[in-house]
Amino acid sequence: MSRQRGTASPKEGVMVNRLPYLRKGFWVFLLPGMIGLLLVIILPFLVTVAASFTKWNGVNPPTWVGLANYERAMGDLKFWASFRNNLVMILAVTVIPTILGLLVSVFLFDYITRKFNPGLANFFKVALYIPQVLPVAIAGVVWRWILNPNWGSLNVMLESVGLESLVRNWLGDPTTALPAVMVIMVWFQIGYPLVIFMAALQRVDPELLEAAEIDGATWLQKFFYITMHQIRPEIFVVVLTTTIYALKLFGQIYVLTRGGPGSATIVPSYYTYQALFEQANVGYGSTIATVMTVVIILLTFAFIRIQVRNEFSRQEI
Amino acid sequence: MSAKVSKLLSIILAGSLLLFACQSAAPTQAPAQTEAPQVTEAPEATEAPTQAPAENRVLKVWHYESDTGAMGKSWLAAKEEFEATHPGVTVEMDNTKGFEEIRQTASMVLNSDEAPDVMEYNKGNATAGLLSQQGLLADMTDEVMKRGWDKIVVGGLQTTSRYENGVMGSGQWYGVTNYGEFVMVYYNKDLFEQHGVEVPTTLEELEAAMDKFVAAGLVPIATGASEYPAQQIFYELVLSKADQDLIDSYQLYKSPVDFHNEAFTFGAEKMAEWVEKGYIEKNSTSMGAEDMGLGFESGQYPMMISGSWWYGRLMTEITGFDWGIFLFPGNQFNPGSGGNLWVVAANSENKDLAYDWIDITLSPKIQTIMGNEGGLPVNANAEEITDPKVQELVQAFKEFSPGAAFYPDWPAPGLYDALVSNVQELINGTMTPAEMLDAIDTFYNENKPQ
Repeated sequence: MSRQRGTASPKEGVMVNRLPYLRKGFWVFLLPGMIGLLLVIILPFLVTVAASFTKWNGVNPPTWVGLANYERAMGDLKFWASFRNNLVMILAVTVIPTILGLLVSVFLFDYITRKFNPGLANFFKVALYIPQVLPVAIAGVVWRWILNPNWGSLNVMLESVGLESLVRNWLGDPTTALPAVMVIMVWFQIGYPLVIFMAALQRVDPELLEAAEIDGATWLQKFFYITMHQIRPEIFVVVLTTTIYALKLFGQIYVLTRGGPGSATIVPSYYTYQALFEQANVGYGSTIATVMTVVIILLTFAFIRIQVRNEFSRQEI
Repeated sequence: MSAKVSKLLSIILAGSLLLFACQSAAPTQAPAQTEAPQVTEAPEATEAPTQAPAENRVLKVWHYESDTGAMGKSWLAAKEEFEATHPGVTVEMDNTKGFEEIRQTASMVLNSDEAPDVMEYNKGNATAGLLSQQGLLADMTDEVMKRGWDKIVVGGLQTTSRYENGVMGSGQWYGVTNYGEFVMVYYNKDLFEQHGVEVPTTLEELEAAMDKFVAAGLVPIATGASEYPAQQIFYELVLSKADQDLIDSYQLYKSPVDFHNEAFTFGAEKMAEWVEKGYIEKNSTSMGAEDMGLGFESGQYPMMISGSWWYGRLMTEITGFDWGIFLFPGNQFNPGSGGNLWVVAANSENKDLAYDWIDITLSPKIQTIMGNEGGLPVNANAEEITDPKVQELVQAFKEFSPGAAFYPDWPAPGLYDALVSNVQELINGTMTPAEMLDAIDTFYNENKPQ
């Protein structure tokens, strides 16, 4: 791979040197995107940051309040609860689905495809991907029915098999609401890493696996030292995109619990929404949104840095 | 070179991820970008109606009443009447969006191209008041005077139709109500009879009755704490110890409210006690208004404390048992007011049709249909309302009327959610009554109009 890059670069360099206008020309193509970025992302973001230093209901002229909103956030239990819940959501949206997705995809790829047939593996892949395609609102309503404490199918099933002691007010009890939402999120998310990893596994060179097998490597050794190593870029992409998704999670919380009971399942996006649209408190809502965005940007850069470093170390190998 | 390419790719990726990430902040931009110009745009919009041609016009009407309820049935009749009197105009009526959905998305909807011309909307400072201040609702004062609606919607019913700087009670007309509404106790007569329970007239009698039901293994009150019902029970309990001054202070900000006074303390402590005694189930924390209604309709619960908006629907849907109503025992004051409002979108191009629509829904013919279907009309021919069940409701409305205490979530934007979550905490036992009152106190004082 590094040899290919090595040969490609000088050629590119020669082309660019011979045709200097190419070096300037690409900016024209970037311009529409840059203008879009400026108008849709950067300017509104700056307005949001500016609004976070004001007291404003969105109608009357805003009043400058300095860091008051940030001070309020520091002492606001609901604000901290929302970010704490966000960490838990990373577990449910990123960590668990990625690990499960990896295991299931390897199982489907290595075992089901070879021992049975690719059609069966595809069937499971599609079945597990369906939650990703379903509209969140519909899936959320169905889950609410399933988890209804009085007539939901989960409690009815538990009762019918003699497990009354496990019957719970799943989404209404603060001790079970967050775990219930987590389970639902894993169900929502599992298909995404699965599909990416299934595609990535096609890319793993069978010769490497065969050579390792001849050398006496066990299945686990092959999995950790060859498969995982080969599909590391895909794992990075999945972890990064799902972490960002977890940090800005909104729809599922809106449909399932509205952040309740109390603030047991509140997340920053929903709290921002409440402050902006329910309380017309644009200043405070902007503060939560700004903090959330900064966290996401920092995490993104950290991830990319690690990835770039890994790329370099791979090239050096 | 490869490192440079890699870095460039990283920057592009980071940029696109930033774009992806910043979508989460999108809601923040909406008010900043769209609401600010509203104040200036609204008057222009009101001055430039009726551009659409007379023929093939469409009037978009949104409401959130069930087709089987009194309001829903009467408005279906109004649609027929409207189309008969306005040839070439089609009424596109949409009631697929629920109360919660419209409550939460109204400002976004009214800001969009998809806005209806006329819409049923929740009355109160935190809702219609806020939208009127944001310039999203048409000021219909002139039309009200011209068409004489102020002679139909009179006295206390006007309180919720008029707003000044977003505060109800006086000022311009931003909405017109069609009906009255109030909160009462619906009861299952069969279950009462079966367990030897009489209709209670005091709070003590109500509790004694509930003890009997609990002993028989029933949960006495159907409610839902993930939406409005549970907070109305809390408010009923507060009102059992409240006077007019407290209501005026709480709803109209006439003086500071002490949330640890006798009434609020009693309400919170009693609510916690009711949960402990099993009068209200903890499961209610994950149930909404619809769950409550269906629970009562199924005959599992002896009582349901909720509003007259259920009445028409229950008349149609309850077939398996006999039921009746009474006001919350011993209370001089109860939650209630003029009903939800017809509001006209500030940027509607069919304001003339929208006003004609409101006029037709206020006509005696349509109002009488509403009355006979179990609603509380403001302009019906009383002698034409014959159904004894409806007469029972009208009688209760008469008893209620002098003690209208509005609704607990009205005073401040967002108080609805604060009440939902804090009442949930109280029911779950994760907050003591004092902590719950502290939380409401803080929220109320931070968010009420200053």
